[in-house]
Amino acid sequence: MELDDLKNTWNNMSNEVQQQPHLNTEKINQMTSSKYHSRIKKIAYPEMAGIFICITGVAFTLFNFSKLNTVFFQATAVVAIAVLLLLSAISWISIRRLNVTGDVNKPYAATLKNFAVQKIRFHKLQKINVTLSYLLLVCIIILLPKFFTGKDITSNNSFWIFAFSIGYIFLLFYSKWVAKYYSKSLRQAENLLKELATE
Amino acid sequence: MDKKEAFITAIQNNEGLIYKIAAVYSNAIEDRNDLVQEIIYQLWKSFDSFKQQSSISTWMYRVAMNVAIYQLKTAKRKVTTVPLDEQLSNFHDTENSGFEEKLQLLRQHLNNLNLLDKGIVMLYLDNKSYEEIAQITGISETNVGTKISRIKEKLKKQIIKNYNYGT
Repeated sequence: MELDDLKNTWNNMSNEVQQQPHLNTEKINQMTSSKYHSRIKKIAYPEMAGIFICITGVAFTLFNFSKLNTVFFQATAVVAIAVLLLLSAISWISIRRLNVTGDVNKPYAATLKNFAVQKIRFHKLQKINVTLSYLLLVCIIILLPKFFTGKDITSNNSFWIFAFSIGYIFLLFYSKWVAKYYSKSLRQAENLLKELATE
Repeated sequence: MDKKEAFITAIQNNEGLIYKIAAVYSNAIEDRNDLVQEIIYQLWKSFDSFKQQSSISTWMYRVAMNVAIYQLKTAKRKVTTVPLDEQLSNFHDTENSGFEEKLQLLRQHLNNLNLLDKGIVMLYLDNKSYEEIAQITGISETNVGTKISRIKEKLKKQIIKNYNYGT
């Protein structure tokens, strides 16, 4: 199918759309009303839930900090708190960016440029997010037994053998999956930026 | 005629372009309805900024295409839509007349293009002049011509590739 064949298909579609009007005054009035404009808020709910979980995690760690009797555990807890706060900040930034609809009167190419830049930034944030999540997972494995049973699993030699071997394999596959998941989309955004730069 | 009446008339006269843009930039029917709603909402919000330097349809194309791009940010984070779906159900009736199949075919080809080419080719298909395409997209008329020639080449290559793979 060439462009001119596509044009025929398009014209047929246009005729069908035009033959059947869909928008009456009442519908347009409803659509222009802000009370129906709640989609973004709903989309932000999972992010907000994420922030809530992270803050709860910080509170829980601080509340139980006295149970951590060695510098190693205390340092792990500090890292966990820092990671949880960073994850909350990333979620908050994501919500803010999601809520921003830029100037819709700008030329299409300018909007595309902005979109590609935002997409690249988003992917960078997501990569940081994934890396931090992995770090958090390690901290949780170390801290939870201490919090709930008072046991120090790190003093068990088999823990370290297990942690290093399984952890390394998991990290290897995890990072490959993350790279594969984001690379195509990122490449598209970068190519689009390059093309727009020549305009 | 007051502002709201003028807006409603403009929308009703150009509703076809809104539905076509929504159809090209979204795959699922729910996404399409969300996009139609968002386009109309944003058109209303920026109706004051329409300065009549271009035709109303050119302005509406520009706003609608920009909204479609902003909507892509949320496309993969789908949630249940607002309760306008039912009221837009008239649009679904067109499925019976092979509308969805035609859309599928169009999308299949357009989705292989990048977002800039996709926008340009959509305007070209809608019989917009190079001047209007340039006004809407913000690239020069010469570049519009060059791009359309390149897109034709891309589509030809795509067909040959599909043919060789037996699709």
